[in-house]
Amino acid sequence: MATATNIGTELDLIAHLLRRTGFGATPGELEEAGALGYEGTLDRLFNPGDADALPVDLIRRYHADHNDLRIPPSSGSFWMYRLVTTKTPFEEKIALFWHRVFATGQTKVIQGKVMISQIDMFRKYGLGSFRDLLIQLSKDPAMILWLDNQDNHKDNINENYGREILELFAMGVGNYTEDDVKECARAFTGWTIANMPYMSTKMRNNTLRPYGYIAWQFEYDESDHDDGEKTFLGETGNFTGEDVIDIICKNPATPLFVARHLYHHFVADELPVPQWPFEGPKDPEAIQLMVDAYFANDYSIGAMLRAMFESDIFKSESKRFARIKSPAEVVVGTLRLAGDFDWPTDDVYKATAACNYMGQQLLGPTSVEGWMGGDDWISTGSMVQRINFASDTIGNPDKRGIKAIIGRIADRHPSGNVDPEALVEDCLDLVGRLRVEDGTQEGLVEFVREQGDVDPATEDGAGKITSLLQLIVSTREYQLA
Amino acid sequence: MATETGARLGLEYRDTNGFGAAQGGRGYYLPVDLAVRSDGRIYVLSRGDAIQGGNGIKITDIDHNWFEEISRRGTAPGQFISATAIAFDASDRLFMADEALHRITIFDADHNYESHWGTEGSGKGEFDGPSGIAFDRDGNLLVVDDKNQRIQRYTPDGKYLNSFGSAGDGNGEFSFPWGVTVAPNSDIYVADWRNDRIQRFSHEGKFIDAFGTTGAGEGQFNRPANVAVDADGNIFVADWGNQRVQAFDKDWNFQTSIRGAGELSKWAAEYIDANADEKEARSTFDPYPELDVDDPHEVSARTEPYFWDPVSIALYDDTRILILETGRHRFQVYEKV
Repeated sequence: MATATNIGTELDLIAHLLRRTGFGATPGELEEAGALGYEGTLDRLFNPGDADALPVDLIRRYHADHNDLRIPPSSGSFWMYRLVTTKTPFEEKIALFWHRVFATGQTKVIQGKVMISQIDMFRKYGLGSFRDLLIQLSKDPAMILWLDNQDNHKDNINENYGREILELFAMGVGNYTEDDVKECARAFTGWTIANMPYMSTKMRNNTLRPYGYIAWQFEYDESDHDDGEKTFLGETGNFTGEDVIDIICKNPATPLFVARHLYHHFVADELPVPQWPFEGPKDPEAIQLMVDAYFANDYSIGAMLRAMFESDIFKSESKRFARIKSPAEVVVGTLRLAGDFDWPTDDVYKATAACNYMGQQLLGPTSVEGWMGGDDWISTGSMVQRINFASDTIGNPDKRGIKAIIGRIADRHPSGNVDPEALVEDCLDLVGRLRVEDGTQEGLVEFVREQGDVDPATEDGAGKITSLLQLIVSTREYQLA
Repeated sequence: MATETGARLGLEYRDTNGFGAAQGGRGYYLPVDLAVRSDGRIYVLSRGDAIQGGNGIKITDIDHNWFEEISRRGTAPGQFISATAIAFDASDRLFMADEALHRITIFDADHNYESHWGTEGSGKGEFDGPSGIAFDRDGNLLVVDDKNQRIQRYTPDGKYLNSFGSAGDGNGEFSFPWGVTVAPNSDIYVADWRNDRIQRFSHEGKFIDAFGTTGAGEGQFNRPANVAVDADGNIFVADWGNQRVQAFDKDWNFQTSIRGAGELSKWAAEYIDANADEKEARSTFDPYPELDVDDPHEVSARTEPYFWDPVSIALYDDTRILILETGRHRFQVYEKV
């Protein structure tokens, strides 16, 4: 494999970290992180400042549909603005992670507003204690209606949420019995939303009439809670939902399951979740490292990830570019590189739709199992969408991010014409220290040669560099994180 | 600020007009402005969205009679992409601003498309996002040129006359101004949106005063969207970010603040009556549930009677004010008391 300049340096390691904890790095972001060093960058990731994203008031004023966030293009685009413009992308990566694990879909709950509130909750609790997160999840109105807990009554339980918190959210198949599912459901009876009959009916009828949607509010109905004795995962008592979550969190199966998800999202592609009961993790040592951090730090997700990012496992060469980017990573990373969305624009709907066409509808996972990820992202059609989107987005030398790249190249070569090999190295470096295979790199150099002289200080040169950047984001390697 | 005298102005809830109509027909969808014609007919600019539609100017009256809808989404003459405001001239011609197409469209008194004018740019007579519009006492049109941070004045047929304002937070400067209104005494009021204040100018465009600071207290604003002024000089501000309407006397003495008290409109009640399952489910509906949030936007999202994104205000025969809400597809009617 050919390399960009200084492969193996700390900067490459930081670029690797920023691909996993964010959406790749612009040249400016990488420079800033480089000054902090790897540990300093980690410190900042876990102690982020203000997101300083495009202000919500501006978004709502210029997109009237971003006020009620009723339909999927509105809610998805509202999140897209945050993803593209935030200064704290790790928060968004965490939100995307939990959105995938705790997959909830606007397709059923209808309301984009409550979906966005769920994403806000993931941002707030996503790196904290898994116990706190599960409690918030169990009270989350979108989750309650997604898994029918409003129909889970003390005299007539609905097992849906009780089952999925065990199977899909916290422990995985094989670590509980059917009786545990029923007892778990009993513990969550009475966890509902205010005005449930009317809200539920409006959701079922999928109607904004008469006055739009009314965002849902969690409500605990004590009169509908089964406070009888329950036996759950070997313990007996008059358990509430909180008690059940306590028992789940201290069970050894839980951090194993969560760590495997974290590994899949942040380290390297794992097997699809349905295969987990039958095949162990690819990297048991990495999983155990996170499990230990979980128990040593009050079930902290952040501690699990920090332990992982500080490990030699994560830093190893084998983990670089070891994951296929999700559609959100492709779309958001490319838009951030180009410097898009400084101001509200209808292009945000196109970006959100592009993500959808690539197979990931934000706020609309295909099922309760979320997206499988890995090879599942890739098909002939989705590859075409990925390449076209990236190439189109990058193909404008007047965009802020592209201008910045061209400006840096001009600064590096004040004498004018840039040697083709050096130009390709520069561009690979400036799109986030991308590595490409030898043959790919040779092809890029050949492309530059065919263009003739390239002086980055000229309009002609800027155009040629833009074309080269388009070609780079069209490579197979750009699809890897 | 002058000393307050006399009894305070109050506002009492009277009625709700509206119905969510994303696919068109009787009702509104994401409305952003309203205007009252000389005969009392009420025109609601339903901006809608690009996916489902619901775009158009919907015509009703104070008694909930439904008349028709005109215009729709598109770039053809008479259509709009992102309409922001409507206003009538003295001949009941209807003017509509479009911040995406950077143009003013004119319909005659019979709703026929008449003409449009405006080009994008930052020079004299050019727009970068025309927002609020209002006619001055001479019948010329004031256009809030939002991203150019100024107010421009045109003859009705689009001839540029003059402008005032520039970017900033000093007197006479703006930060993304939104609504504009002309008071009965000819003064011009501008909702200086991102400066969280209302500015008042003379007919000529000379700065008179500015009122408001950032916040949620009395006399404070969070992104005020629009303003209306009655014959006595009382000022009504759509305090968009705080999800309320505040009223002041002509000297900016605080009078009252209202949060909304919407009920089922005539159209809404007919819908509920016609849908047995929703009628039954709504029979136990508590419109004011106990909430665990305090952000005004979230509170409004969860409380149906409250204003949700109060975006525009219109006087109706000088005794009532109509408050339009983008998020709830309706306007609430309050009476001055």
